[in-house]
Amino acid sequence: MELEHIGKNEYELFFGPAHPGSGNFSVKLKVEGEKIISARADPGYLHRGFEKLMEYRLPLQNAVLSDRICILEPLNWNLIHAEAVDELMGIEIPERAKYIRVIMAELSRIQSHIIWYGIISIGTGFDTGFKIAFGYRDYILDLFEMITGGRVYPAGYICPGGVRRDLPQGAEERILKVLEKMEEMLEFERMENPAHLERMKGVGVLKLKDAIRLGATGPVLRGSGMKADVRKDDPYEVYDKLDFEIPVRNEGDAYARYMIGLEEIQQSINIIKQALNDLPDGDFIAKEFKKPKLAMKIPEGEVYVRNEIARGEAGIYMVSDGGTTPYRVKIRGPSFLHMIPVFEYLLKGAEIADVPAIYWSLNICPADLDR
Amino acid sequence: MAKESPQKKKMKRLIKAIWIMNWFNSCGFCELVPVVGSRWDMERFGMIVVGTPRHADVLFIAGYQTLKSIKRAQRIYEQMPEPKVVLALGSCTMTGGMYWDSYNTIKRLEDYIPVTMYIPGCPPRPEAVFEACAKIFKHVEEME
Amino acid sequence: METDILNKINAKFEVEGEMQRERRIWVKIDKEALINLCKFVKEMGFEHLSAISVTDWLKEGEYEVTYHLWSYKDKILLTLKTRIDRNNPNIKSVVPIWGENAQIHEREMHEMFGVNFEGNNDLSPLFLEDWEGPPPFKKDFNWREYVREKYYDRGNEREISYFEEV
Repeated sequence: MELEHIGKNEYELFFGPAHPGSGNFSVKLKVEGEKIISARADPGYLHRGFEKLMEYRLPLQNAVLSDRICILEPLNWNLIHAEAVDELMGIEIPERAKYIRVIMAELSRIQSHIIWYGIISIGTGFDTGFKIAFGYRDYILDLFEMITGGRVYPAGYICPGGVRRDLPQGAEERILKVLEKMEEMLEFERMENPAHLERMKGVGVLKLKDAIRLGATGPVLRGSGMKADVRKDDPYEVYDKLDFEIPVRNEGDAYARYMIGLEEIQQSINIIKQALNDLPDGDFIAKEFKKPKLAMKIPEGEVYVRNEIARGEAGIYMVSDGGTTPYRVKIRGPSFLHMIPVFEYLLKGAEIADVPAIYWSLNICPADLDR
Repeated sequence: MAKESPQKKKMKRLIKAIWIMNWFNSCGFCELVPVVGSRWDMERFGMIVVGTPRHADVLFIAGYQTLKSIKRAQRIYEQMPEPKVVLALGSCTMTGGMYWDSYNTIKRLEDYIPVTMYIPGCPPRPEAVFEACAKIFKHVEEME
Repeated sequence: METDILNKINAKFEVEGEMQRERRIWVKIDKEALINLCKFVKEMGFEHLSAISVTDWLKEGEYEVTYHLWSYKDKILLTLKTRIDRNNPNIKSVVPIWGENAQIHEREMHEMFGVNFEGNNDLSPLFLEDWEGPPPFKKDFNWREYVREKYYDRGNEREISYFEEV
């Protein structure tokens, strides 16, 4: 990195990858005293070239690779990749598989918001919140291990055609018990904590017009006052049959985004309870995939699928030319837009001590930024 | 009592408490942060996470490294004072793992940093991290 | 709703459009008329640019640039596709219309495919540091051969098997 010409009172700071308050990214700050004049983001520490890796592998192999696009919510990325292949191949998915997919995706969203709460707490100086959040998160990881076989990576559980295995016996009661524990945790998290209030109210304000121009989606856009959610506007799976609300706030600061995260956990709990109630009997995978031939040809065509993951709007654009592997896969992650246009814009005029609070309130996953 | 070599004397001071450098990147983030959390509490063994390499004894390289981040990891390794230990977690450090045909990830960690111990898994469970630390203790006791 | 939008576009521009299913419209247009069409659809309400992507059609010698746009008002996704020459990839940038959102997508496509967006004043490298090879995502850059030559060595008995199969 080169140093640019700087004035008399200014100096440059690297807020880099080995900082205890940062993730796997780095930002070059130009600072005068304690105020930041400009910022330049420096991504690329985790770039593996996912989009081309998928061109060398069959769709069933890609289903296992797709968990690792973002480490913090693997089941949601599994789901969007499976939907893209299903739509290209024109497969009808049985109803039971759709409900199980929704349950797993919502559990993964709750787990991701718990990480968000824990990391914000440790970033703003409230260590107890971090310990409690990660303690409760393990209930969900044990549940994943029971259903899919892996604590963190489910090895392509949501695959094209449905899901790989049916829910084992006793899974439904266990899910209800885990949801009770989640509600217990929410009672603790809703208590107002002075550390959070002081460090996050009025910090990092993003107005609605700027949010749309800079490409923000998900909780960042909802924190600025726009009621937009892919599950309601562009429904997929069985979301049009389920009844839930979308929390929206108008202030646009870090505290508003953080409160939306907490309210979304409650909405996800409601969705899972409804889905468990309506779960029909039947097959868990489409007939063509019960004994799949590994090298199935994908018909020619292209498709663009949108999903709402915990961080915002995710998209996959898949093109096929009739072969056994996809011709081009483009992955659109929400953190790409939140990191470079939105974060650089919010840092102008902020103070150095506010940088962790702003960064963690945007809920950026460096892995789905670099892919 | 047999005379202990200076190397063993140095290492014996290490095993009282291990301080770990905070370089959680890529896939290790998801399984190393619960080790700090309240279920697999590592503070009861005397291990804490420090923010600067000058205070650290152990460097965890958890997961795949790209060309850009291995340069930073090398500089962190050089800044750590002796005696130091490097633990490589995950299968991506051994053979390249799932990204064996990617143009930007490294395939064998020992070409870049000297490694003391490998822990396999994708990702390895938190219990594996504790077992690795126990093996370090035993290795130091059996040293001459 | 979708057919209304297609009819409005068809009335002013020469395009090939189709409605794939509900909420999805795909439109093909020439490179010269692209900027005027973008201004027109932005005024119609398509203010959210979801992604810009480039597909490398090696056999035909062309790059295909796609723009995916979403309208919060009408709740429809519109995709614009245009083709440019592969050996001389130049196209006008849409930064004046959609702002910094488009600038970062174009920067990534410049690095990965080598497409030159005229009018974008920040096309510096994004993910790669000191990279001297060809743009990585082109179809004629075979990754498995590149990795075999650069990272594995024939002297190592564990890795010799990578050299035997494709």
